[in-house]
Amino acid sequence: MNFPWFKRIGIFFIPASIVGWIILAAGFVFAIFSFMDIDGRSHSVSDTMMNFVFMLLIIGAVYSLIAYMTSRVPKK
Amino acid sequence: MREYQVRFCERFGGVTPPYLLDFINAKDKSVVSWWWLSVPLFIITMLLMKTLYMPGTTLVSNIRDLAAKEQYMSLIFFLISPVVLIIVNAFSIRKIYYLSGSLKSMNFLETVWFNILIIIFSVLILLIYLL
Repeated sequence: MNFPWFKRIGIFFIPASIVGWIILAAGFVFAIFSFMDIDGRSHSVSDTMMNFVFMLLIIGAVYSLIAYMTSRVPKK
Repeated sequence: MREYQVRFCERFGGVTPPYLLDFINAKDKSVVSWWWLSVPLFIITMLLMKTLYMPGTTLVSNIRDLAAKEQYMSLIFFLISPVVLIIVNAFSIRKIYYLSGSLKSMNFLETVWFNILIIIFSVLILLIYLL
């Protein structure tokens, strides 16, 4: 496999290959799916936003961990 | 990678020297740590708001309620995650300290300030949870 899949800019990991873009797209799709799921069960806008932001942070944490592991340049 | 680091690598024919990779690695690690730390920090902020709007409750009592309701989640984000982040960032700082030569080196503090911040926040989260 060709590494790195991501490159870091500030606190964000930006895709640097097609696999990276697929992972980012999967994260977005999952975020949209969770928003619809949370919105269907919540009673107010603030209830939706609080739970969605929490989910978004978890998605961001998992994404950054995957990106970190696949963005390391091997030592030569 | 910063411009001076890129220029430095170009002198070696575009190959990044191993010790410079360790510096970059430490920065990347602190960014991942920040993302993992943002989850408990967000929960604490929400609980602080709850404490402000609900008289008679405290942050500690709200955290205890959460820990009773969400046992595994609170254990992961308030205990395991901060402990892991403290260990990972402490090892990063130690490695950079040996690579940079001394504490007086400006490059050392410039590189590890974010790791130190992560450790401080992790200790704070642990203290709030274990109170």
